Amino acid sequence: MSSPLVILEKLTTGYGSEAVLREVDLKVFPNDFIGVIGPNGGGKTTLVKAILGLIPLFSGRIRFPGGRPKTGYLPQASQIDKSFPITVREVVGSGLVASPSWFPHLARSQKKRVRDMLEDAGLAAVAHRPIGELSGGQLQKALLSRALINQPQLLILDEPNTFVDKTFEEDLYRWLRELNKDMAILLISHDIGTISPLVKTIACVNGLLHYHPSNQISEEVLKVYNCPVDIIAHGPIPHRVLKQHAHE
Amino acid sequence: MSELWEILGYQFFRNAIGAAVLTAILAAMVGTYIVSRKIVFIGGGITHASFGGIGLAYFLGWNPFLGAALFAVLSGLGIEWISGRGKVREDSAIAIIWSFGMALGIIFVFMTPGYSPNLMGFLFGSILTVVTGELYLLLLFCLLTALFFAVFFRPVVHTAFDPEFSAVMGLRVGFFRYAMAVIMALAIVISIRTIGIILVLSLFTIPQLTAMVFTRDFARIMPLAAFWGITGSLAGLFAAYALNIPSGAAMVFFLTFQFLLIKAVDTAWRQIGRRSRPLRK
Repeated sequence: MSSPLVILEKLTTGYGSEAVLREVDLKVFPNDFIGVIGPNGGGKTTLVKAILGLIPLFSGRIRFPGGRPKTGYLPQASQIDKSFPITVREVVGSGLVASPSWFPHLARSQKKRVRDMLEDAGLAAVAHRPIGELSGGQLQKALLSRALINQPQLLILDEPNTFVDKTFEEDLYRWLRELNKDMAILLISHDIGTISPLVKTIACVNGLLHYHPSNQISEEVLKVYNCPVDIIAHGPIPHRVLKQHAHE
Repeated sequence: MSELWEILGYQFFRNAIGAAVLTAILAAMVGTYIVSRKIVFIGGGITHASFGGIGLAYFLGWNPFLGAALFAVLSGLGIEWISGRGKVREDSAIAIIWSFGMALGIIFVFMTPGYSPNLMGFLFGSILTVVTGELYLLLLFCLLTALFFAVFFRPVVHTAFDPEFSAVMGLRVGFFRYAMAVIMALAIVISIRTIGIILVLSLFTIPQLTAMVFTRDFARIMPLAAFWGITGSLAGLFAAYALNIPSGAAMVFFLTFQFLLIKAVDTAWRQIGRRSRPLRK
């Protein structure tokens, strides 16, 4: 078995002096596909912010045995200021402004990568448009392209299926399956019914983290984990036992 | 026409034209950042806080613009620090800095013995009294700001657009935010000479909004804002001379007038449907 990309050891973190996550242990291996679920305010986003180094740790530590992996990050769409005057091409290209390069111009090869990425994502026609003119699905494609353009080893997606239609969601999940062959993925969602057929394992986060080594999880187990999740209805039948949930 | 040539023959008016053009270019660069980040209110806080520095400088016998620069930079850094920590409501903090700076300025000016400084010049600008040395200072700061943007354009834009993602990408978000706070503060103080504390923010916002009728691309807004800033400022300057009205107010009038005119044309253009696309690209 290959060594983990990321190891969280007894990690306690939060905002200000308030701990949101306590004593969290987690290992992320290459080609892992972990669905991070939990109630609102349970600490899902806090978990990824800690991994990304965006918030300080109160105690515990995060180790990167092979060095900090190249990481692609797709934030929640609501975090993006759509009125900011920036083009789709510039947004996608911003995924290439990696440290320590501060200088303004992309190399010719990098510009080609941006063009290829836009082409692959079906965004070539809107490359010069401001992001504010994109639909929800197009915006997510642009942000996903930005996250992927640096060919990350670890891809972190925070609620990627908000503000998008069903067609895009299906496309997205198909891409993620493909991408998972080359990279580890952490997918945050409050809708376990949708992601359980997609992910390989599940991390239930509600202050504490319970790692579930399968994508099949029952309501009873969620209760044991003290991890009440919002069940988003996909049809008239409530998700009593998620194992039985048939996802088309 | 001969009157125009006559006025252009005076050094003070040529200086005023130079100051108007350079201030418009400086404001275009910095104002595009301010408008894009939606921090116009922060600009207002910095501007008015600088009056405290002017008052203090008068009281201590310093150069007033040195005091203004000191207060502006400190308030700019302070506001950026407060907004980064999120413990105090940013708008409340700005309001405190805004009014406290003005109050300090008034107190110090009042306390300054035996000398009554020309407050109107600071409040409404005095472009016609700009001397050549001040023009060189303006030119130097303009060039330094342009150089900063030339070298750091992408990180500045990216950290303004999405600071969290930029941090993940390894960009020094704090450095660029604080650097821009200092540049903003100094640009505002230098522009006070041209248009005054009360009106200076108009140069940092109206030309940008005019440019944004045509484009929503940060890199294109800057030169377009400079163009509209120059046209509005020069129109105001000549109108001020011709009508014998305050130059700062005339400049703001023309900046606003051309914005409203262009916005109206754009709106009419869309409604009439003579073109399938709006002016904006």
